[in-house]
Parts: sequence; C-alpha cells; structure tokens
Amino acid sequence: MENKMIRLPLRSLLILFTIHSSLFTSSQTVMDLIREKPQYASCNYNTYPDTIKAVLTPAPAGKKPFYMSHYGRHGSRYISSRTGYDTPYDMMNHADSVDELTPTGRRVLEEMRLVMDDTEKRWGELTSYGKKQHRQIARRMVERFPEIFCKGARVNAISTTVPRCMESMGTAMIEMLQINPELNITMDASKRTMWYMNHQDKKLRKYMTKEAQKAYDKYTSGLLGNSRLMELIFKNPDIVQEIVEEGMFNYYLMKMGLFQSNTHLYQNTYLQDLFLTEELYRMWQIDNALWYVQCGGYKVNGGKQPYTQRFLLRQIIADADSCFQLANPGAQLRYGHETCLLPLACLMGINGLDYETDNFEELEEKGWWCSSVFPMGSNIQLVFYRKDIKDQDVLVKVLLNEEEASLPFATDCAPYYHWKDFKAYYLKKLDAYKE
Amino acid sequence: MRLLILPAIIFMAGMTAQAQDVMRELKADVNRSAGTNYALPVIKTENDTPAPGGKKPFYINHYACPSSYYLQKEEYYDNPLEVFMKADSLGKLTRLGKDVLRRLEIIHNDAHNRTTELTKHGAEQSRGMMKLLVERFPEAFTDKGYYSIRSVVQNTAILTMIESAAQLSKMYHPLNIRTTISHEEQRFMNPQDKDLTDDRTDSLTMEHYDRFAALNTSEIRLMESLFNDQNYVAKYISPYTLSQQLFRLAGSIQNTDLTKKTTLYDIFTSEEIHRHWRKNNAWNYINYGACKLNGARQPYLQRAVLRNMIHMGDSMLKRYAPLAHVRYTNERVLMSLACLMELNDYGLETDNLDSLEALGWADYKIAPLGGSIVMVHYRKDRDDQDVLVKVLLNNKEARLPLKTDCAPYYHWNDVKRYYLRKLYRYENERFNEKLKK
Repeated sequence: MENKMIRLPLRSLLILFTIHSSLFTSSQTVMDLIREKPQYASCNYNTYPDTIKAVLTPAPAGKKPFYMSHYGRHGSRYISSRTGYDTPYDMMNHADSVDELTPTGRRVLEEMRLVMDDTEKRWGELTSYGKKQHRQIARRMVERFPEIFCKGARVNAISTTVPRCMESMGTAMIEMLQINPELNITMDASKRTMWYMNHQDKKLRKYMTKEAQKAYDKYTSGLLGNSRLMELIFKNPDIVQEIVEEGMFNYYLMKMGLFQSNTHLYQNTYLQDLFLTEELYRMWQIDNALWYVQCGGYKVNGGKQPYTQRFLLRQIIADADSCFQLANPGAQLRYGHETCLLPLACLMGINGLDYETDNFEELEEKGWWCSSVFPMGSNIQLVFYRKDIKDQDVLVKVLLNEEEASLPFATDCAPYYHWKDFKAYYLKKLDAYKE
Repeated sequence: MRLLILPAIIFMAGMTAQAQDVMRELKADVNRSAGTNYALPVIKTENDTPAPGGKKPFYINHYACPSSYYLQKEEYYDNPLEVFMKADSLGKLTRLGKDVLRRLEIIHNDAHNRTTELTKHGAEQSRGMMKLLVERFPEAFTDKGYYSIRSVVQNTAILTMIESAAQLSKMYHPLNIRTTISHEEQRFMNPQDKDLTDDRTDSLTMEHYDRFAALNTSEIRLMESLFNDQNYVAKYISPYTLSQQLFRLAGSIQNTDLTKKTTLYDIFTSEEIHRHWRKNNAWNYINYGACKLNGARQPYLQRAVLRNMIHMGDSMLKRYAPLAHVRYTNERVLMSLACLMELNDYGLETDNLDSLEALGWADYKIAPLGGSIVMVHYRKDRDDQDVLVKVLLNNKEARLPLKTDCAPYYHWNDVKRYYLRKLYRYENERFNEKLKK
C-alpha cells in the first residue's frame, strides 16, 4: 500500500525532503525516531548519523568563513565500565544456575556471552565505527569550509587525556591531511587543559538531590518494568524476581542490546529485537529525564547544571577573541566527552536546550531530546565569518552535529549571529553565575 | 670449551675499545648519559648496504619507543625543588645553589601538569622518524601499501603514534591506514609476566647493585658546590637521592623546549656524569637485560612480542602489496626485545656490572626516546623462496646472533629458526619448572 502511494510523487518528495530536511525531522516524534533507529532510545549510546543532509545557509554578502572553534565527543566506543553489562549478565547466570531460563532465555544468555567476550579488554575503547564517524566528520569539515582549512592553515587540535578521545582526534587529523596535506596541524592531550576540557565540578556533581531523586523516582516508577520480557525469558517470571530485579534487568539488557550498534557486532540485533518500540520509548523517557537532571536546567536541583561548562565556554570565547587579530587563524578543535557537550549545549541554549522546568513530562514536547544532541561523535562547531581582517562585525554560526542551530538571542541574519552580541550575551550570563 | 677461547680473546681485546667508545660518546653528547631518556636525534643515517641480487623491501615490521616526553612523576620535579627552596629559606644555598634553584623553578613550571606527556620536541621527532623511514624504503612505503599502526594504551605512545600516522597521511594519498589502541593487544605489545619480573631484584642482586652503586657514588663535591653548610646537608639532605634527582632532571631537559635555554649538566663534572650513567645503565641491565645475577631471563618478558614479529613475517611471505606494521610501545619493551634478539650482542650475559661498559652494553644505544627496532623483509618477487631480512636498531643496520653470507642481511628461514628455537627452549624450561612445583 505504502509503496504504491509513494511511487508517483517519489521524485518530488525526495526534493522536498532534501530542501526541508530539518523541518521534516522536527515534525517527527521521538517515537518515530526510535522506530527508525532503535538506538535513539539509548540516549548517549546513540550513534552519529551516517549522512548529513542539512544544507548550509549562505553567509550575508561578502562575509567569508575564517575560523572554526569546535568541541566534539569521541566516536562510538565500547561500553566504558563492565557494571552495565554485569548487572543483567549476573542475573541471567544466576537464573540459569537454577534452571529458570526458557529456550528464548537460553539464547539470550548465549548472545550476552558473545557480547561479554567481545567487550572483554576493550572497555571504553574507540571502535572502528567510531573512527569512521570521525573520518567522515573531519572530511565534511574541510570540504564545507575550504576557506578555513586552506593551504598552510593552522589546525590546533587538543583532546582530553582519555585514549578514545586522543584516538578520535588522531583519526580526524589523519583524514584532514588526506584532503589537504598542507594543513599545519598540532595535536596535544594534556592534563593542563583538563580544567576546561573535562571540568569536574565538585558542587554541581551532586545533581541528584533528595528532591530531584524523589521526583525522578516518581516519574520513572511506571516506566521501568517489563513483564512481557520477563515472561519471554524466565520460566517462572514471578518467582525469579527473587534473584532478578525486573526494572534493572529490563533497563540494562536493553542498553546492552542497543549498545552493539557501536561495535562490529552491529549486524547482530538479536538482543535489540527483543524489545518493542514502546518499551524502547519508555527507556528513552527514563534516560532523557536522567540526563536532564544531570545536565539541563532542571529547576528542582537548582537548574545550574549547564554551568559545569562555564570554563569551557569562557575558553571558547577567549580563544576566539585572541584569534581575530590573525589573518588566517585556522581552527581550534577540541575532543572530549558527552558529559561536557550536552551541558555546554544547554548553557549556550542551542536550539532551546536551555529550557528550564520542574516537570519531566514537558521535555518531549519542548524538544529537549538529548539523543539528538550528544550521540557518539557529536559536535558543536562555531564557524566565524568576516569580510577581511579589518571587519569589526564578525558573525558566528553554530552547527550542532553539523546542522545549523539557533541561539537564544536576537539576530538580523539567522542562522548567523553578531559576535559582539554572542559575547555580550554569554559573558553576562556567565558573570551572573555565583560559584 | 676450547672452541670458545679464540672468540673470547678477540672479544676481550675489543672491550677496552668499547669502554672508550662510551666515554667518547658521552663527551661528544652529554645528553646520551640520560640513557632511556636520551632523545634520539632525527638524522639521516649512513647509506644502506645494498640488498643482494635485486631483492626489494616488501614488508616493514616496526617496534618503537615513544618520542620525547616529560618525566613520569610530578615528584621528580617537586622533590628537588622543595629541598632547594627549604635550604634557600634558611640561607643554606651557595651562589651556584641559588642559581640551580632558579633553574629548577623554570623546569618545574614547564613540566607542571604535563608528566608523561609528549613534548613538542617529541611530536616533531615522531614525524621526523617516520619521514626518514619512508624515504629510506620507498619500495616498501607506497600508496598501494597497507599501514597497520598501533600503540599500547599509554598516552605518550598514543600521541607518538598519531603524530607518525599524521606524517604518513601528509605523504600518501590515498593512505590505506588502520590505527589500533587496545588493551586487547597488550599481550603482544607490552606483555606482563609477574613470575618473571618478580625475580628482577632479589636480595642478592640488590646487594651487588648497592655495592656497585656505592663504588660509583661520591657527592661531596656537588654538595659543597650547592650548599654552604655541610652540617645542614648531613642532617637534612640525602646527597645520594638529591644528586640522582638532579641528574634525572638534567637528562630530561633535552626532551623539552627548555633545551636551548637551560641545563643542569654544568653542575656535574664529567666524571660524575659518567658515574651516574654507569649506575643507571647497570640498573637498566638488571631489569631489562640478560643479567646473570637474577638469572639472565628478563628479556624473555618480550617473548610474545618476538613470536608475534616472527609470525607476522611468515604471514607476509605471499602478500602482493607492501605492508607496514608500525607499533608504538615503551622503552622498557624495546630494551628487553633488543636483548632478547641479541642485536649487536646486547644479549650479553654477565654478572659483572662493572664490565658492562667495556662490553659495549650501553642503554642509550639500545632504547632511547624515539628509538626503534625495524625488521625489513626483502624478496625478488612473490615467488622468491629466499626472503632476506635486515634489522635496524635505532635506524642503524644491526648484527643478529646468527651466521649469514650477506650481512647485514640474513636469511629469513635462519632468523625464524634461531629465534623460535630460542623461545621454545625457554618455554620448555618454564613448563618443566611448573611441573616440578
């Protein structure tokens, strides 16, 4: 049926899709996105899009890109600690030892063993897919902004001291040199820059206050369980609850399944396929709310979480300012983590991510969807434009995952913003934050 | 036994010459005294011995140390500085002492929060070394080649790897490259064997070393030059430790941007520098060489690395396009590997720490920063049954412990047989020991 309907206007539909891709995406619901790509439900384990369809708006007359400032997350990796996998795996082994697994349950356990074996000694390491993401992103960066990545251009890349970030940086730089071998690239990964590259805020780290926990528990209480899954896997789902905690089991098994899209086992979707779209959607709700508590403007814990990235934003501003004196400043690329990228996006209010509420139910409607913000390989690119070095009216455009994004202050040339407005807005915001 | 006498006599005659070599080399470049912290210069080496009968390189099997980096621990920078600051606050420093304090502050600030990180010099060194290698073997490095490049999960090695890969990417388009950094590969990149390493410093070995170190220690002159009150030194300072700390810092400066701005070597006499080097060299020999004091087995820690090197060589015999395996590990692995492979007689087995210098066992020649062991495989064509290999140790053609009719080239089958036999003999010994237990 569907095929027949599409056949006639296919060409025109495709054109429409290309032109209005961002519009088209935004009209999709979270449920649609999960149906298309189940790992969307796993929030920070979501993978980066394989292709970027968004078209870039031409800059106002005479302005040319001359500098890029970037913060990117490492690419797809193996899960960083074994706890997430051990939780359901231990429960399954326990249940197996008392002969509580159905035939499906036994197959599930077999698949879990496969995953455990594959991950052993690779915890947290960048996968081939992660490297591919960074090659593609780097390639597009150079191809989209040849004026910035021109012959002899300075590309100053730094990374946190975490190996997967260093390798992401290296992979990106190797690819850039493939396109333009004349780039003047420097790389570094130093404890010296960790204070802004991966700031650990002692005060704000305690985001799960008593009040927040209470509200979060209330919100998730109806979402955690999965009796259908229990019946599928265990012979006596009610008795087995003595050793298998349903909520935890459901949550972590689902994560384990969805995680595989980041590894070379991506073709094996057996574990992922155990779950219905509605169940995946509930997982998204649980996690999206958790990330909101941790990184967003959640009023119940004070709404200050985005300020964990105040040093990073200040550094980005200072770096940019110091570059304007140069004829060809090139690019400053920073490779780090989603736990910095998401709060940075919230702090900057990119695409309305600075939305503040005390009600988790509002998040979906208001577009606070963390999976779209910080998948593996995610990045924020600030692209700067001017006529020439004397041009005082520098413009900046923000790309979130390579698509043009909006900022929370006025402009007369969206998606371009005046740098002086950018600076004034954010410095005022940062100055108002009391340590 | 009799058979061994003649080579032994020739060997002894060479000893004095080798000892003088070390003295001369340290004098020519004092930075060599830093041993494994010596930054191997990026210099085009002498011309290669041409390969026999039209053979061409088709496979490069490369193992390297990280390039120049800051010292491993903050305390290496903090501790001597604290000693000098305290002495200064009590007016116990001489004029030279005050000047050294000023220099220590500069060195400390430069390295603060950068321990175990690649320096700018290290980044350039890594690119430079790769460029030299590529230009030296153009037949093996082509745009049709495959580059498999890996590193241990240690930040210095990772950055060294990334820099050299970036150099390759500058030179080849397209570049068929694959990078790998994984704990999963630790078993052949940086193997661990607690049973073996527990034997390194037993009490008898330590007794020998301590005696050797005592004979090579005299810090009175240095302390008098730095501190104006020797009672204070006697009460509050360990001259042995402080001197060692200062010497370590002196050697590390060459790896940083400070190399043109400051030094600490000037506070030592050449005799003291020589003695410090002798102590460190002996310590490296005990830990990574085939030192008889602890059983002469430590190089076998790298047996999996060598086995992997051999197996990789074998699996490349029928390859069409050239391939390079480029690996970055740490200087400890390289040092033991060179000893295990007995390159240039570094497999030396002795219990006499005093003789190391005379026998030519010098750490800076074996595993300096930026150093490498590269096995280059040669053949005429894919059907050539007689593959030859040549090994480069720190970019120089090296001698292997077996006969050949075309040195520095060796027949692959001989090389393979020699090393595998050596490894299996050891494995068998270990196996039998376990059975006895």
